[in-house]
Amino acid sequence: MILNPASMKPIYVQISEWLEAEILNGHLPGDERVYSQYQLAEMFNVNPATAAKGLNLLADEEIVYKQRGLGMYVAPEAQDRILAKRKERFVNGLLREVVSEAGRLGIGKEELISLIREIAREGSGERTREEERGKEKGTE
Amino acid sequence: MIVVEAKKLGKNYGRVKGGVQAIRGLSFIMEENKIIGLIGRNGAGKTTLLKMIAGYLRPTGGMLRVFEREPFNDLTVSAKTLFVDDSMTFPLSFTLADILREAARFFPGFDAKLAEALAEYFSLNLKKSHHHLSKGTKSTFNAIIGIASHCPLTLFDEPTSGMDSSVRKDFYRALLKDYIQHPRTIILSSHLLSEVEELLEDILLIHAGAECLHLPVADLKEYAIGLRGPARNVGELAQGREILHREEFGQGNIYLVVKKNFSPERLEEARTRGVETVPIATDDLCNYLTGSKGGIDDVFRRN
Repeated sequence: MILNPASMKPIYVQISEWLEAEILNGHLPGDERVYSQYQLAEMFNVNPATAAKGLNLLADEEIVYKQRGLGMYVAPEAQDRILAKRKERFVNGLLREVVSEAGRLGIGKEELISLIREIAREGSGERTREEERGKEKGTE
Repeated sequence: MIVVEAKKLGKNYGRVKGGVQAIRGLSFIMEENKIIGLIGRNGAGKTTLLKMIAGYLRPTGGMLRVFEREPFNDLTVSAKTLFVDDSMTFPLSFTLADILREAARFFPGFDAKLAEALAEYFSLNLKKSHHHLSKGTKSTFNAIIGIASHCPLTLFDEPTSGMDSSVRKDFYRALLKDYIQHPRTIILSSHLLSEVEELLEDILLIHAGAECLHLPVADLKEYAIGLRGPARNVGELAQGREILHREEFGQGNIYLVVKKNFSPERLEEARTRGVETVPIATDDLCNYLTGSKGGIDDVFRRN
């Protein structure tokens, strides 16, 4: 497993995000044991304390839970919590950033919405249903 | 448990007046079973500090305790401590095989199987004598002794000097894997933080014999932030803060590096006024913290 040391994100955040991805794609189902800090340290070639910090980040967000003496396990609600967290971060971070940058560039509200729609259309066909819903809202 | 403790530690070479102050007023604590990076530029005092911890040199000021004892001339400390650098000396008549055999008798925790496997992996000829080895091979062999001896306190002074990049990577990985199986206190000195960063738990950055920074390595990435943009707006944002680095560029533009303790709102607001935020690479941060005033550009500006 390769980490990106040049990334702005600290290594322990990158590790916790990798674990989140493993939970989201179903490799680590609910109530399954998560890798130990030592396993993670070997996998990512980092100090075990750094790996532990990544695990603790997930424990704080109740995405994993501690079993005394046994290690960390995936919370049954882990997938929902990760998705909710990411959605919240997307809306409050990226999306706000997009809207304010559009403002700085003089892109109007309607223009922005139609640009987003266009980009979504270029994406996969699976997106069509969401796009339709978006259209309805847009015409309201 | 605390393995190394220093209080206002000092070391002068030569006469007090006109001599060299290699270490001046260094205070820190190093805890058991951590890998600690001792980082600093050439001449910062890394080797002097390590040699005092190992008991090779006697401090000239302050207090130093290793395993709760004064390390200089102390057998207890000596038995638990190993200092590895590229000028380790062994009896001249010894071949590498002889050294490995004696090391197994000398260090109670020595893993002879591991040492042999590593020597084979790095293609060392065990029939050779130690003082005939090339610089890189010598470093590699000494590093093997450092790993396999499992000493409760192992000090590596620039262990990878002379090693090629693939051996370096292998050495660090071998050290990490062995540390996971046999946790112990390891101090690793380097002038290049990025090479060892991921291996470390804590970092002690020293400059001109004094402490610059001592913190968990994970906090280092979030220690400072770069602000780039129109001089007035950047200056406003950085007002009252310690400026670690400053560069002017273009017309009325400035780049400042300051400690990162801004609220996200404050940064977001600054962004709308053209102030860009830039993450600081840890190597650069170390350079800023240990740098001389100004930069290389100033040297050329004079002419």
